[in-house]
Amino acid sequence: MTQNPSVDDAGKCMKCGFCMYNCPIYKIDHIESHVARGRNILIRQAGDNSIPNDADYAERLSYCLLCGRCEAICPAKVPSPDINIAARTNLVNQKGLSLPKRVVYQGILKNRKLMANLLSMAAWVPGVSTSDGTPLRHMADFTAVFSKGLALPRLSRPFLASRLPTKTLPPPGIKTKGQVAFFPGCAFEFFFADIGEDIVAVLARAGYEVVYVRDLTCCGLAVRSAGDVKTARLMAAHNIEKLASFDHIITGCATCGSALKDYSKWFSDDDPRQSVARIFSAKVYDFSEFLVKEGIPAQNVQAVTVTYHDPCHMKWHQGISSQPREILRSIKGVKYVEMEGADDCCGLGGAFTLAHRDISLAIQDKKMQNIKNSSAQIVVTSCPGCLIQLRDGVRRNKLPVQVMHISELIRGQIEPHQKPLSTGDEAEQ
Amino acid sequence: MTDAVDLTAYSFDGTTSWQRVPEAVVFPTTSEQVSEILKLATAQRIPVTPRGAGSNLSGGSVPVSGGIVLCTARMNKILKIDADSFTVTTEVGVVLNDLNRELAQHNLFFPPDPQSFLAATIGGCVSENAGGPYAVKYGVFKHYLLGMTAVLPAGAIVKLGGYTMKNVTGYDLPQLLCGSEGTLAVITQVTLRVLTLPAAHQTVIAIFDKIVTSGLAVHRVLTAGILPAKIEMMDNWVIRRIEETSHMGLPLGAGAVLLFEIDGMPAAVEIETEGVINCCRQAGAIEVRAARDANEATNFWTGRRAGFSAVYGASPTVFAEDITVPINRIADLIDRVQDIAKNYNLTIVIIGHAGDGNLHPSILTDKNNAEHYGRAERAANEIFAAALEYGGAISGEHGIGLEKKRFLKQAMQPEAIDLLRGIKKVFDPSGILNPGKIWEDK
Repeated sequence: MTQNPSVDDAGKCMKCGFCMYNCPIYKIDHIESHVARGRNILIRQAGDNSIPNDADYAERLSYCLLCGRCEAICPAKVPSPDINIAARTNLVNQKGLSLPKRVVYQGILKNRKLMANLLSMAAWVPGVSTSDGTPLRHMADFTAVFSKGLALPRLSRPFLASRLPTKTLPPPGIKTKGQVAFFPGCAFEFFFADIGEDIVAVLARAGYEVVYVRDLTCCGLAVRSAGDVKTARLMAAHNIEKLASFDHIITGCATCGSALKDYSKWFSDDDPRQSVARIFSAKVYDFSEFLVKEGIPAQNVQAVTVTYHDPCHMKWHQGISSQPREILRSIKGVKYVEMEGADDCCGLGGAFTLAHRDISLAIQDKKMQNIKNSSAQIVVTSCPGCLIQLRDGVRRNKLPVQVMHISELIRGQIEPHQKPLSTGDEAEQ
Repeated sequence: MTDAVDLTAYSFDGTTSWQRVPEAVVFPTTSEQVSEILKLATAQRIPVTPRGAGSNLSGGSVPVSGGIVLCTARMNKILKIDADSFTVTTEVGVVLNDLNRELAQHNLFFPPDPQSFLAATIGGCVSENAGGPYAVKYGVFKHYLLGMTAVLPAGAIVKLGGYTMKNVTGYDLPQLLCGSEGTLAVITQVTLRVLTLPAAHQTVIAIFDKIVTSGLAVHRVLTAGILPAKIEMMDNWVIRRIEETSHMGLPLGAGAVLLFEIDGMPAAVEIETEGVINCCRQAGAIEVRAARDANEATNFWTGRRAGFSAVYGASPTVFAEDITVPINRIADLIDRVQDIAKNYNLTIVIIGHAGDGNLHPSILTDKNNAEHYGRAERAANEIFAAALEYGGAISGEHGIGLEKKRFLKQAMQPEAIDLLRGIKKVFDPSGILNPGKIWEDK
């Protein structure tokens, strides 16, 4: 059995510096303590107390998108992202979490009902949600005030739970091939419920009975990334238990997918839940991965030029990059163009974008330039986090480009009259 | 930058034996800023250690005397690609692989290929006079260096050399700075010669029962008048590691594998490929063939790189030696290294650029095991002595830095080392630039 990564693995780094070539952050600021090689040195030295485990050290650990590019290029395959999480975990164990983080991770994210209630209340605040599908003008700018300028998505009303039946059956005339469970994650449950519906509809069209499991919780990735491994394990164990009876678990979120597929790494080697998690993870598929394996529903759309942005959690964590492209190329009417740097990070990195907004924007700028040069009309991606960041970038740069989840485009062509292509840029309309 | 945590990240390079935290790190973006920094450092007698990506393997960029680390990573603009005169002028913080990606857009390439090309900066490569597998046919950095802008320790910004292949104008100062390990001046821009990308490539793999036989095969290929672009050698230890990870189908009992790359015009590549295959057969290869397609060729070279990485991950401390001998002594040297390994009861992995006589015998040891480490050190001394005995050098491409300075006395006459000291004094009378490197104090 392979050992799960710990801070001791930092010692395997042979300091060749290849990670610098791939690190989105180092490419912007060229600071050694912000890239895997330098950080691994700091983690080693913090381990033997030759540098203090203080706030400065913790801050350096935060300069990481956990995108996984360093590990992908590393000749010694040093698991630097997991080493960073292990180091953050040690800090949390020593010093505890800040109060706001404790409330969010251990209270709200873990407790799906409480989260739903809190967010439902927030949804009534004027402008925070898209009650009738026509967002308030300049709403994006309004919410941006609270997010250091990042245009956050509005809350969906109602949430996905109120939109979907427990079982969605294939439409009449389509033979049922089997049953799958859909893991919506926080994004498709609360913020992009429309997309959640699209994913379920396309899976049904592909011939699957889609089960919406009621009391799942957040995938836990953000919680684990912040170093609160204990809470993250509880969340993982909960989801594993609720989904244990299914043979296929489908996610539409790159982040949730990478988390669910990695659950066994979250438990220590002597924890019996680790082997249970391994069996669970083998049944998890990304939406595009599943469709390519089981058959893509063929459809047409109006002529449109499309490009694809690889989410880090999709390409570097799950190794999925050909499948979404295969789907896009299969759609009649789609002219697929590959943009330069399609697999370059968008710069969001979850909480990273709020902690280090300037670097996040510098990374976003490069992406926007590449999108612009591709002359695509639609940028498709497979991650709600990337959707947020790319839509924010499109809005800031006033690009005439729509940003869509891959399921939106597939469903858009399946039912072109029922659902117009949504736009990433409501505020500019 | 002066925060303690950040400074710690600048206390090392690619080696395992040296560490010292500097007092400050600076990131100049122009020659003028470098000049201001050096003027201040000279006035205050503050040591300045230039650093690119810190991927060097000599200890050269470790700030052993403290002071300032001058990091050139942000001077990273390619200034001019002149496809008509086959030159590129670039700032020194550009990463070698990025330079080649840009050049490829113009159907050009810069041949010297230290295997750290994904990290190494142009400035670091020039300062270490780096090279790699391509050295067999294409030589090393110094063969492509035409001119440069450098900042002297007192602050003067000087342009040296020019833009032409031939240039005999006084002492060849760019060549003097090339390989000077950051001890004479801070190079800020360089002009390099570049070549047109070869139209065709072919990879040949040859398997031998004994490592010595592979050495004979290399000699046979070269004497046949064939000049492959690369000739790389891996021993049995590396073959087994490669098979563990990437399953290339190499026989686990093989003594050595040679990888050849032949490049040039398609017809020439075809003829030379046949020639290489015949030479290897005549030398006694168990099996030899050309790669079926570009994919398989890529797999071979990926395996070669993975093998090299495996060496570094194999034990807590690795002495990655960098000796070079004249081509006709490769087989002797390999024999000797294997004897030394046996005598000291050590694992010494042999991997290297067999085509140019540059071998990396890597001694696997552990700094924390005094007895084992002592044996490894004694074995290293014998390997150096052997290289010198065969008319070779103690470093082919990594440089002396800190790692090999105790061996310099064996490799150079005292009068020659005095010349080094004298040159240093002319450039850097106050001794602020990268002090403590290359030679030992008297």
